[in-house]
Amino acid sequence: VESNATIREIRLMFHKSYPQWYPARQSIRLDPKGKSLRDEEILQHLPVGTTATLYFKDLGPQIGWTTVFLIEYTGPLFIYFLFYFRMPFVYGLDERFTSSPHPVVTLACLCHSFHYIKRLIETIFVHRFSHGTMPLRNIVKNCLYYWGFAAWLAYYINHPLYTPPSYGKKQINFAVIMFLLCEAGNFSIHVALSDLRRDGSRTRKIPYPTKNPFTWLFFFVSCPNYTYEVGTWISFTIMTQCVPVGLFTLLCFIQMTIWAKDKHYTYLREFKDYPSLRMPIIPFLL
Amino acid sequence: WLVIAVGLVRAYLAKGSYHSLYYSIEKPLKFFQTGALLEVGVVFLHSYFPGIVPSSVVLTAFQVMSRVFLTWAVTHSVKEVQTEDSVLLFVVAWTITEIIRYSFYTFSLLNHLPYLIKWARYTLFIVLYPMGVSGELLTIYAALPFVRQSGLYSISLPNKYNFSFDYYTFLILIMISYIPIFPQLYFHMLHQRRKVLSHTEEHKKSE
Repeated sequence: VESNATIREIRLMFHKSYPQWYPARQSIRLDPKGKSLRDEEILQHLPVGTTATLYFKDLGPQIGWTTVFLIEYTGPLFIYFLFYFRMPFVYGLDERFTSSPHPVVTLACLCHSFHYIKRLIETIFVHRFSHGTMPLRNIVKNCLYYWGFAAWLAYYINHPLYTPPSYGKKQINFAVIMFLLCEAGNFSIHVALSDLRRDGSRTRKIPYPTKNPFTWLFFFVSCPNYTYEVGTWISFTIMTQCVPVGLFTLLCFIQMTIWAKDKHYTYLREFKDYPSLRMPIIPFLL
Repeated sequence: WLVIAVGLVRAYLAKGSYHSLYYSIEKPLKFFQTGALLEVGVVFLHSYFPGIVPSSVVLTAFQVMSRVFLTWAVTHSVKEVQTEDSVLLFVVAWTITEIIRYSFYTFSLLNHLPYLIKWARYTLFIVLYPMGVSGELLTIYAALPFVRQSGLYSISLPNKYNFSFDYYTFLILIMISYIPIFPQLYFHMLHQRRKVLSHTEEHKKSE
């Protein structure tokens, strides 16, 4: 190859010689245990001499992030409907196709659906992924988690014996307002992050607050999208007053805190001038 | 665990039958088995302090959790099964296993491990493991009708937290989970046995 070849070109050449290993499956590194080289890297800029030795590792079958998200989010959307409309196999034949006398149950269905439709729209039009793919076996694990929990919480919310929240309309209205604010916040952050890559690049940049007040959370937090997401699920828990929803919220919180801390420390490593006031996910605390 | 073993033998000699042996070792059993939770922490620390015994955190956590579950959530909670023979079966299996296992770790740390202990640890499990598992499964099975009858640890709809839990079904699921899990642990130990005992043979031959 030419000395100014990119890793991307090398991957394509490798794929021609070995058609079963398409570029997304190839991990090319300088050292057998080293990090995978990025597509954009140029051979002569790497620490190699006149001849370079590259190592290949098969990452296994890959699936695109967009595809994964679409499958992950469409499941809960439709699974919830199975319970809301009380399909015969869910609550027994006597309750089939009946509807709940509580308005909050319909409200919960609207909110849940809105949340996943929003996620689907963001996946198609907003998100710009830094990695193209993930291993195929992840999709089984992820779908079991999202779809399973959606079924579990939908079961209780739409159950004929469902009990509405203890503080009635006050509790529900508060929850709805919190829900809408958090959804708007989450969307604003996704758009702001997407705008950082409007030029099509895949490199990381520090996100900053914009004119949109929802993005002002960037003053205090590295990953406000996760903050708002947890807020959405807390509001949904308050709205439905349902333990399974609360458990799902807790798990989401734990998972997103892990992701936020990762991202936060990556930012700190890469950028010397990273704002020092920022915490990973909760202002001043976590 | 020696305390438990001695307790068992003494009670048997005193009463002549083995039906109510659970009561004589109930307290030490609860104490030492629950104390084994510390073991998970110790194994976890191995990744930071290599001097401590190497063992898989997941496997250790699994075993300790299942034992603590049997001790507290089944045998202690469902009084009617305490006189079952199956309880004796798993208590004896655990007792022998743990005495050997802790001796193994102690001698290893002292860098003076008698071959007999190593052999015992990696061979007796072949009988003790199925014995313990049978005792555990039979005990859970015996507890089922009493759980159903009393509604133990179960909560049903409607309630203001919109949650339900059926302990009876949960126990059945636990029993079913033994089917995929037990063979994996058993074959892991068999694999370890081949590795550890043949390694010693090579050492001996080269001497």
